[in-house]
Amino acid sequence: MDTKNYKGTIESIEKIALDTYKLTISSDLKKCYPGQFISILCPNKTLRRPFSICGFDKKNITVLFKLKGLGTSYIASLQKGDKIDFLAPLGNGFELDNKKALLVGAGIGAAPMFFLKQELDKKKIDNFFISGFKTDKEVIKGADKTFVGGSVLDDIEKIINEKNIEIIYACGPVVVLKKISEIALNHNIIAQLALEKVMACSIGVCRGCVIKLMKKQEIVTASVCKDGPVFLGSEIIWD
Amino acid sequence: MGLEKLKTVLKNPLSGNSLELKTPIIGASGTYGYNSEFEDFIDLNCLGAIATKGITIEKRFGNSGERLFEVENGLINRIGLENIGIKRFIEEKLPVLREKKIDFLLNIAGSTEKDYEILASIASDNNIKALEVNVSCPNVKQGCLEFGLNPESLFRLIKLVRKNYQGFLIVKLSPNTTDIKPLATAVEKAGADCISAINTVRGLGVKIDYLGNKFIKKCTSGGLSGPCVKPVALYMASEIKRVAKIPLIAIGGISTLRDLFEFIYVGADAFQIGTANFINPGICSMLVNQLNDFMEKNNFSNLEELKKAIKE
Repeated sequence: MDTKNYKGTIESIEKIALDTYKLTISSDLKKCYPGQFISILCPNKTLRRPFSICGFDKKNITVLFKLKGLGTSYIASLQKGDKIDFLAPLGNGFELDNKKALLVGAGIGAAPMFFLKQELDKKKIDNFFISGFKTDKEVIKGADKTFVGGSVLDDIEKIINEKNIEIIYACGPVVVLKKISEIALNHNIIAQLALEKVMACSIGVCRGCVIKLMKKQEIVTASVCKDGPVFLGSEIIWD
Repeated sequence: MGLEKLKTVLKNPLSGNSLELKTPIIGASGTYGYNSEFEDFIDLNCLGAIATKGITIEKRFGNSGERLFEVENGLINRIGLENIGIKRFIEEKLPVLREKKIDFLLNIAGSTEKDYEILASIASDNNIKALEVNVSCPNVKQGCLEFGLNPESLFRLIKLVRKNYQGFLIVKLSPNTTDIKPLATAVEKAGADCISAINTVRGLGVKIDYLGNKFIKKCTSGGLSGPCVKPVALYMASEIKRVAKIPLIAIGGISTLRDLFEFIYVGADAFQIGTANFINPGICSMLVNQLNDFMEKNNFSNLEELKKAIKE
């Protein structure tokens, strides 16, 4: 799939939770998949900022972002009608399997799960989406079940057993993904995990966002931006 | 519109060795992949060349842990020369470069003199037209910069490479020295045809947050690149040109047409674009077009005329 540098127009930008924004951009982008991301130019920073795609309807692309620093503050300052420069679609997304799925989104990691759920629903693949947030104010609504305060993992074993889950798709902090990977291994099910790393080029050339994988009993390096961001939990060598 | 005006000939006046480039714009090593990674964004044939990712004899995994640290107007990296090794490069990447007719400089790095000698021979055996010898990576424990900061060992190393490689030989110098002139003199005397400079500047990124009554610290040491290193690169270029007769490919914070003019003023014959590719993957072709348009509009018929006018 061809990745391009798009000049889009902001259709809407709205605050949906504490420091959390939903940004909708119209552009010529024709195709993208859950788990893929876009990389937005922030003129006040050296590097672009990557964001998981949260929704796509052939004309508009939606991403969610949380205020972290100057880059995201710049994006939050933009308004409807403003132009926005982004690279898309980037990376390899989730591989949709016809198996009963558990979707896990921890914090802003919920973003790609909305898009994934939409696609799974379209394909009539049974799924259950859980999300977790530190506080009430941070909750991004829309999951089948939301955990606040504790961990999104608190009830995960129970859910896997009760709902006969056959595959887990997840996105969130490394500590959560690592745990999910272990849980999936214990239950002998596949976990597809979307990772986040600081990126420079977004297209695999700079090797700045590299992780190690174990593939066919051999250690290999893989870039989160180009080879990922979605990897099989069973293949990731955690730091 | 044709790009004939931008034809660039890098010629070593001492040996007569030369390298012809379609344009003076080159994608810098470590920022442009191995071959056609940028073809989604630009027509690679408008480039003078791409400098490949630094290649070592063996495959390397690079450094563990965080490899990037963004700073104001710049970026610190500690990739550590992750690469696929020369064998896979020759088998998998070289055929694509040749099939797609992408002009390239093979960037090589090693831990020992022997490494460089072997890589030079392999380049020679495979009829690789231009070699860029990396003696300036600040992010590896062994080799590379060890050779690059000492004029005597640098002279010995480049002499050895020269003996084993007859094509166009470029040496990429480090700015991490008090005086770059003896290094430039050493590589010229050893038989190099061209100097490229600068590699990244040693830097330390420090981030301190105060969270939950505690200071959370993050430190990343590595090579600094981007717009913030441009004054260092300009200074180094001017110093190199004070002593070296061989051509100079300027590198360091270049992202605009004005930057090209500034580097021409201090003696550059061609340019490598590095970190700017991460922000705008179409930047190299944009600079080619901007330079061409400028020359067209202002009646410069070739780069030599432009260079002369800037230096007057």
